[in-house]
Amino acid sequence: MKVLVCAKRVVDSNVKVRIKADGSDVEIEHCKMSLNPFDENAIEEAVKLKEKKLVNEIIAISIGTDKCVETLRTAMARGADRAILIKTDQDNHEALNIAKILKIITLKEQPDLIILGKQAIDDDANQVGQMLAGMLDYPQGTFISKLELNDNKVLISREIENGTEELELSLPAILTADLHLNQPRFIKLPQLMLAKKKAVEIVEVSSLKVELSNSTRTIKVKDGEIKKDCQMLSSAAEVINIINNLNLN
Amino acid sequence: MKILIITNQVKNSLNSSFNNLLSCVQNIGNNYTTCDVVVVGHDLNSLCTKISTYKRVAQVLAIDSPVLANLLVENIATQLAAIVRNYTHVLINADSFGKNLLPRIAGILELSQISEVIKIISPNIFQRYIYAGNIIQEIESFADVKLLTIRASSFIPDLELRTEAAPIIALEYNNPISSKVKYIKSNLTDNSINLSNAKIVVSGGIALESKENFNNLIRPLAAKLNAAVGATRAAVEAEFTSNDTQIGQTGSTVAPQLYLAIGISGAVQHIAGMKDSTSVIAINIDANAHIFEYADYGIVADLFDIVPQLITLLDQKGE
Ligand SMILES: Cc1cc2nc3c(=O)[nH]c(=O)nc-3n(C[C@H](O)[C@H](O)[C@H](O)COP(=O)(O)OP(=O)(O)OC[C@H]3O[C@@H](n4cnc5c(N)ncnc54)[C@H](O)[C@@H]3O)c2cc1C
Ligand SMILES: Nc1ncnc2c1ncn2[C@@H]1O[C@H](COP(=O)(O)O)[C@@H](O)[C@H]1O
Repeated sequence: MKVLVCAKRVVDSNVKVRIKADGSDVEIEHCKMSLNPFDENAIEEAVKLKEKKLVNEIIAISIGTDKCVETLRTAMARGADRAILIKTDQDNHEALNIAKILKIITLKEQPDLIILGKQAIDDDANQVGQMLAGMLDYPQGTFISKLELNDNKVLISREIENGTEELELSLPAILTADLHLNQPRFIKLPQLMLAKKKAVEIVEVSSLKVELSNSTRTIKVKDGEIKKDCQMLSSAAEVINIINNLNLN
Repeated sequence: MKILIITNQVKNSLNSSFNNLLSCVQNIGNNYTTCDVVVVGHDLNSLCTKISTYKRVAQVLAIDSPVLANLLVENIATQLAAIVRNYTHVLINADSFGKNLLPRIAGILELSQISEVIKIISPNIFQRYIYAGNIIQEIESFADVKLLTIRASSFIPDLELRTEAAPIIALEYNNPISSKVKYIKSNLTDNSINLSNAKIVVSGGIALESKENFNNLIRPLAAKLNAAVGATRAAVEAEFTSNDTQIGQTGSTVAPQLYLAIGISGAVQHIAGMKDSTSVIAINIDANAHIFEYADYGIVADLFDIVPQLITLLDQKGE
C-alpha cells in the first residue's frame, strides 16, 4: 500500500511574523521556516502504518521554491521513503492551485491514501484536502484524531463541535490530520544524516501542464493583535464584584 | 448580486450561527438585499418554516432526505455545487460542517474559497485572520462565485422578521449516494452549555495539574456561572478534558461576554480562539504571563487558592 503525505514549508510556529513597511504583505524573508505542524502529524501517522507493515511506501510532496527541499529532507528524516518537489517560483499559492497540482500527482502515483494537514499555520485556510477530494471524487476524512487501516478500508474518528464522528472510507481516500492524531516523535541525528543523502525528485510545475490561475489578491495586511490595559485585582471578592458589574444576563 | 446561505440542522434546531450569517447579506449588499437559503438534512419542515420568517430571506430551498440525516459531504456536495453555480456569493458558517463541505464544493467547481471571513468591506473585499490571528489580511476576490466561510462570532445576528413567510421550495435529492463512505456513529460529549454561543466561558490550562483538579475546580466554577468549559491544548493533551473543549487556532473560536482564563499562559495559538471576547479576566501565578496583555482584569495568584474562594463566594451569593 502506498501513502502520499503533504509537506508544506511554513514560518515556524514560534516566530512572530512582521508586516512589510508598505503594509502590502507579511515579511517572511528571514524567518525560521519549518514543516507545517499538522503535516508532521500526517507523516507520523503514515510512518506508524508502515511500522505495522500495512504500508510499504511513503511519498512526501511539497509545492514551492527550491527551499522546500529542506522541508522534504525533514519529511524523509521523519520516515518518508522518497520525496517530490513541485518547483514553482512562489512561496505561497492559493489552495485551489495546490489542489490542482496534487490531483495530477495523485493520478500519476495512484496512492491508496493521501494524508494532509488539516490546515497550514500560515494562511490557516483549511481547504486543500477537501478541494482535492472534491476534484477526484474521493471520500474524505477531515480533522481526524484516530485512524485504523484494514484491507481496503480506513476507519477514522474526526473532531467535530461536541465530540467525534466515526466514518468508514473505502480506498483511495483523503485524510486531513488534526494535532490530536498522534505525537510526532523526535528525529534522531542519524536519521537526519541519512535523509541528507536521499535524493529529492524535482519536477518543474510547467511540465505538469496544469492551468494555474489566481482569483484572489492580498490588498494589505495589518496587525491583528488586540492588546488590552489590564487592571490588576487583589482578591477573589474583587473578581466576583467585577463579574457582577459586567451585567451578564 | 445573488447570495446563498448553506445551512444545516443542529440537534433538531437552527444552526445558532444562522442569524449572524444573515447580517453578512446586508454587509455584502445593502438594507434591501435578500438571500436564498439552502437547507440540507432530514426532517426539515419546522426548520424551514423558522428560516422563512426572516426578513433577509427571499426563499428557502430544502433538500430533505433520510439519506442526509448524517450529512456526509460525499452525498451532498455534487448537488449543492450545481446550485452554488447560480449565485455570486455563497456563505456558510466556519464550523466543522462548513469547513468540511465548502472546500469540497470549491474543488468540484474549481473555484477558490476565502476561509473564516471576519469582516466584509465590499462585495469583493473581505478581511480574515492569518498567522494564528497575529495578522489581519484584506483580500480581494475576482471569482465569479465567491465562496466564503464565515466566522459567525464576528457578525451581530440579524433577527428582523418578514410580515409574510418566504416561499419554501422542496428540491428533489438527486445526488448519487456514495458507496465510498459509511457513517458509523457519533460520540458526543454531554457539555451542557455549547461553547460557540455561551455568554461566559471558564477556561483552564495545564496549571490545573490533573483531570481531577480540572473537574473539581474549573467545572464547578463554570456551573455556578452558567458558563461553558474551555481549555488550552496543553490541558487537552494531558487529558484533563475532551478535545472539543480546546480553544484556539486549531480548536474552537469563542467570543463570549466574559472569558475567564485560569492557569493559562496566553500563547498566540490560544489567544487566536478567544481574542474577540468582550471582557477577559486572567488568573495566573506569574505576573509576567502573556495572558495579562490580553486581559481586562487580572489577578496574580495561585489558582488553587483563588478558585475555591470564587466558588465559595458564588455559593454565598446563591443562597
Ligand atoms: C500548530 C500549533 C497549534 C496550536 N493550537 C493551539 C490551540 O488551538 N489552543 C491552545 O490552547 N494551544 C494551542 N497550541 C499550543 C500553544 O502554543 C501552547 O503550548 C498552549 O496554549 C499552552 O497551554 P497552557 O497555557 O495551558 O500551558 P503553559 O503555557 O505551560 O502555561 C501554564 C500557565 O499556568 C501558570 N500557572 C502555573 N501554576 C499556576 C497556579 N498554581 N496558579 C495559577 N497559574 C499557574 C503559569 O504561570 C503559566 O503561565 C498550538 C501550538 C501549535 C504549535
Ligand atoms: N505548498 C504546499 N505543499 C505541500 N502541501 C501543501 C501545500 N499547501 C498546502 N498543503 C497541504 O494542505 C494542507 C492544508 O493546507 P491549507 O488548506 O492551505 O490550510 C497542509 O497541511 C498541507 O498538508
